[in-house]
Amino acid sequence: MEIIGYINQSQSLDAVFAALADPTRRAILTRLATGQATVNQLAEPFEISQPAVSRHLKVLERAGLIARDIDQQRRPARLTAKNMVAAVDWLTDFEAFWGGSFDQLDDILMTMKSASKKDEPDE
Amino acid sequence: MSDLPEYVLERNFNAPREMVWRAWTDPDLLSRWYGPNVETIIHGFELKPGGAWLNEMKMRGSSFFSKMLFQEVETEALLVWHHYSSTDADWNPVASPMMADWPVNLLTTVNFSDANGKTAVRLSQIPVDASAAEISCFAEKMAFMDQGWGSGYTILDEMLEELQAKGA
Repeated sequence: MEIIGYINQSQSLDAVFAALADPTRRAILTRLATGQATVNQLAEPFEISQPAVSRHLKVLERAGLIARDIDQQRRPARLTAKNMVAAVDWLTDFEAFWGGSFDQLDDILMTMKSASKKDEPDE
Repeated sequence: MSDLPEYVLERNFNAPREMVWRAWTDPDLLSRWYGPNVETIIHGFELKPGGAWLNEMKMRGSSFFSKMLFQEVETEALLVWHHYSSTDADWNPVASPMMADWPVNLLTTVNFSDANGKTAVRLSQIPVDASAAEISCFAEKMAFMDQGWGSGYTILDEMLEELQAKGA
């Protein structure tokens, strides 16, 4: 996994989160995780029209979550992982910030406690 | 006020309240734990309403600056500050380099209380003076976290398996 750069990520990450906010699009991504699929194949289980699926695919494509082959007539959609990795990393970083800091605070407090015990005179 | 999205983290620490307070308010101690696995340098720390905590974190070969402006300080009980997550090197608040609509300023409240010989710490962050876009950005991320970020991880796991299978 490549290191996620902190620069020039904001636009793509906003697009990723906006794309993921919709349950149908999340379902489409989950379906694509099992392999590439055409618009026809994607429309079937979701009971929505092909144009609606196409619109969802455009949003996902702009967010860099999927790619579509241009050299094939049916333009099957497939997943691309990089922006999803970046989005998951971003949220993980936020969650880990205070949680990880609190873990470290725990360690510091243990050190402080054992240091203060040593300072206490023996009875 | 109450309909603003809120991030809450609560934890009990096995140490007396006086000691926990010291770890939060002595910059030499604070810099040792604030920011996981990063080098934290505290350039200024004035513990009083209106006072500033100027913070630099070094990670991934870069420096990230943030500024906290204390609003309320009640010894061993309460810290309230305005949390500017991203500033330039001169401590002027800027938009997050990672997330354009992340709230520039988060009202951060830390409560300290006794809990059966331990110290309970409750940290809360809500957007303050935020635009509609900032509030919805923050709400969206909090919602993902409330779900345990489950759907994201699930999809990612499946994607990575798929990609690895292809690469193999």
